[in-house]
Amino acid sequence: MQEAELQDLADDADYAVAIASEKPAPKSITRMDSKKSEPDGAELVYLKDNVTIHPTQYASERISGRLRLTKQGASVFLTWIPYKASPSGADSMFQSSNPNLLDRDRSLYTIRAVPFTDVRSIRRHTPTLGWQYIIVVLSSGLAFPPLYFYNGGVREFLATLKQHVSLIRSADDPNVFLVNDFQDPLQRSLSSLELPRALSIANSASTSVIPAPSGETSARTDDGLSIIQHTGRRQKVNDPARDISIQVLEKFSLVTKFARDTTSQLLREIQSDTFSANDRKNRIPAPLSNNITEPENSITSVSDEIPVAADPHEVEKISLVWGKPRQTPLGAGEWATFLDAEGRILDSTGLRKRIFYGGVEHRLRKEAWKFLLGYYDYDSTFAEREYLASVKKEEYETMKRQWQSITPAQAKRFTKFRERKGLIDKDVVRTDRTVSFYDGDDNPNVRILRDILLTYSFYNFDLGYCQGMSDLLSPILFVMKDEQESFWCFVALMERLGPNFNRDQAGMHSQLFALSKLVELLDSPLHNYFKQNDCLNYFFCFRWVLIQFKRELEYEETMLLWEVLWTHHLSEHLHLYLCVAILKRHRKKIMGEQMDFDTLLKFINELSGHIDLNAALRDAEALFFCAGENGEACIPPGTPPSLPAEDTSLMYSQQDDDEIL
Amino acid sequence: MPARRRTLLKVIILGDSGVGKTSLMNQYVNKKFSNQYKATIGADFLTKEVQFEDRLFTLQIWDTAGQERFQSLGVAFYRGADCCVLVYDVNVAKSFENLNNWREEFLIQASPSDPDNFPFVVLGNKVDVDGGNSRVVSEKKARAWCASKGNIPYFETSAKEGLNVEEAFQVIAKNALKSEEEEEIYLPDTIDVTGGSQQRSSGCEC
Repeated sequence: MQEAELQDLADDADYAVAIASEKPAPKSITRMDSKKSEPDGAELVYLKDNVTIHPTQYASERISGRLRLTKQGASVFLTWIPYKASPSGADSMFQSSNPNLLDRDRSLYTIRAVPFTDVRSIRRHTPTLGWQYIIVVLSSGLAFPPLYFYNGGVREFLATLKQHVSLIRSADDPNVFLVNDFQDPLQRSLSSLELPRALSIANSASTSVIPAPSGETSARTDDGLSIIQHTGRRQKVNDPARDISIQVLEKFSLVTKFARDTTSQLLREIQSDTFSANDRKNRIPAPLSNNITEPENSITSVSDEIPVAADPHEVEKISLVWGKPRQTPLGAGEWATFLDAEGRILDSTGLRKRIFYGGVEHRLRKEAWKFLLGYYDYDSTFAEREYLASVKKEEYETMKRQWQSITPAQAKRFTKFRERKGLIDKDVVRTDRTVSFYDGDDNPNVRILRDILLTYSFYNFDLGYCQGMSDLLSPILFVMKDEQESFWCFVALMERLGPNFNRDQAGMHSQLFALSKLVELLDSPLHNYFKQNDCLNYFFCFRWVLIQFKRELEYEETMLLWEVLWTHHLSEHLHLYLCVAILKRHRKKIMGEQMDFDTLLKFINELSGHIDLNAALRDAEALFFCAGENGEACIPPGTPPSLPAEDTSLMYSQQDDDEIL
Repeated sequence: MPARRRTLLKVIILGDSGVGKTSLMNQYVNKKFSNQYKATIGADFLTKEVQFEDRLFTLQIWDTAGQERFQSLGVAFYRGADCCVLVYDVNVAKSFENLNNWREEFLIQASPSDPDNFPFVVLGNKVDVDGGNSRVVSEKKARAWCASKGNIPYFETSAKEGLNVEEAFQVIAKNALKSEEEEEIYLPDTIDVTGGSQQRSSGCEC
């Protein structure tokens, strides 16, 4: 873009030069009445307009705002405030299916004075086509959604930032800048010792412009910028989290209304649970009304008392009312009723709903999965599918021949190919070898697994191969028992899950971010517990998300779960609600035993093989209804398995930096 | 943040995919070897009680995913480590060449208080394969690298046959303990306020 031609800042040192030089300051800096003081005494060091978040793939829902860097003493803060929406009804919250989601998104995505001590790294994307953007990754491992610089200027942003915090270019990836906010070597050393907070308070008090009076938790500017005081606990005025919790309360009145409406019908269905469910319904609002009057207390109470904070949703009980009983798998007879004479599936919504609640019989999977994965169109005919299969078979063979024809001499000079093949060879021999389909020496199915993965790495060379892919392919091949069909089904699956495996891990970051938001929404005591125990990165759920619970369930259960998830009935992101559901099932143990990050990770890993899938699915469904629109708003745009907003052909092109040394 | 229990020693095992990290951990802790291990996704750990001079310690051994793409998770898993075990496969040259990357990545992500003296141990695994005939990294080469990085202790192991595994982990535990003790007596007045001490102790370049 024009930015690149302006000045060549290819190397780190150049960033400093660009700013230190006597060139006229770039546009965005001149706009800010140079070095104007913020109302609270914080110094504004950078301002950029038209920095935008893309909550969905729809251009109309993009949120533009103003990015600022402010300096308070030695600390630098990042703030992104969306522009005000055109004035509209503020009470749109209750009007479900109201398209006015933007207001909520605004508060959800707002970044209020995040100190760079909390930032781990900044990844920049400066594609030759399309907008430049940055992804800010916090020390906790969470990442904010990409911030698009519509007017360019990522280099300038980094150059400015570099003047105030230490930015080190990652040795592994030239597009990643590691942030280290400690300017003062003494403070750095003190911090690394993890001495009690008191010491760092003494150290930082002298540099703080506003010594916060005791008793006050934060000072505040007009737009909600809050100054974090070094008392050990951070509290932010206008905390978006609190906005959400208020929305949750509002949502609850809907929830209880929904429960009331449906109870009479359900009473007939579930006789045995009538009384407890009815009773529970009436009690829901009680603990919540406390939250309204004393929101601060609800935050602090968790750590002080061992008795576990009450779960506002009591999912175990509510699910008796909500999560519908699971049904028997869809069989061939019923399947046939969904097809017209030429093989079209007319009521795909009904079919997906049916599969959502019961899965499909195993022998029907080979057919049904091709639709669910998107390899077959629902409105295609028998003849069209037959034609597609023949074309795709040929296409697969062509791609397979590409790597098969690489000679040993060629391979010797083709490091990336050799390494990829080596990695795949290593992984296929340790993928599901206890399943009889893959067991034993020289099993031909293991070789097919290898061939498909290697061919895929040529089909999508930029993404290549990543661990976890073999786990995703294994059940597909097991079901299809056909190399070409398995390949194309895997391709369709990777269209959605590819970002999980991308080098920047953006897909995983956005899912774990969404998960943290969902827990915050659906179980704020548990969220606060995770927050206080440094567990907010949700890395303990990494395996769940990356390979869709494949390692947590029996093989047959995995197939059932996947087909349920692939229906995208209710939500594309039911797996995230499933994560919340399982965490909530164990919340008492997690909080009661005061698990720290390590213990929690171990606990979660050991849940493998002990998850009641059907119960968890019902809980997840109930939670989905509990969260409603607020839940969906927790999930950043393009979060897998949503189809990516951008053109996928560009998505991985910059990422494949494995070889950069 | 509450101080970590003194009796816990945290060890991180790093190295390329398929060099045998999970196998080494299981051989040491459970005295078992299996051909059925799956590629590690995310991270996991096992614990083992060890005894030194009448004191009991819990060794917490972390096994991590070997693919470079997952390194960004390290920030959560490496923190508070007392010792880092770097593993390579003596039959795969690249896995040896990558040791330096793993070491540096660990130091960046774990940011230990005294990176120059942080204890590492290097294991050259799979020495049993093909009776040693497929070996491509010589012991001499490996030892030279270890020496150049501040005399890192080096062991040649076979997780499959249990060769040298116990011995290696004895040293790993001992060094982890040493690091833990040094941390406890590390006083603020020893801090280098010039801040820039970038030069690494080069050790003996033999």
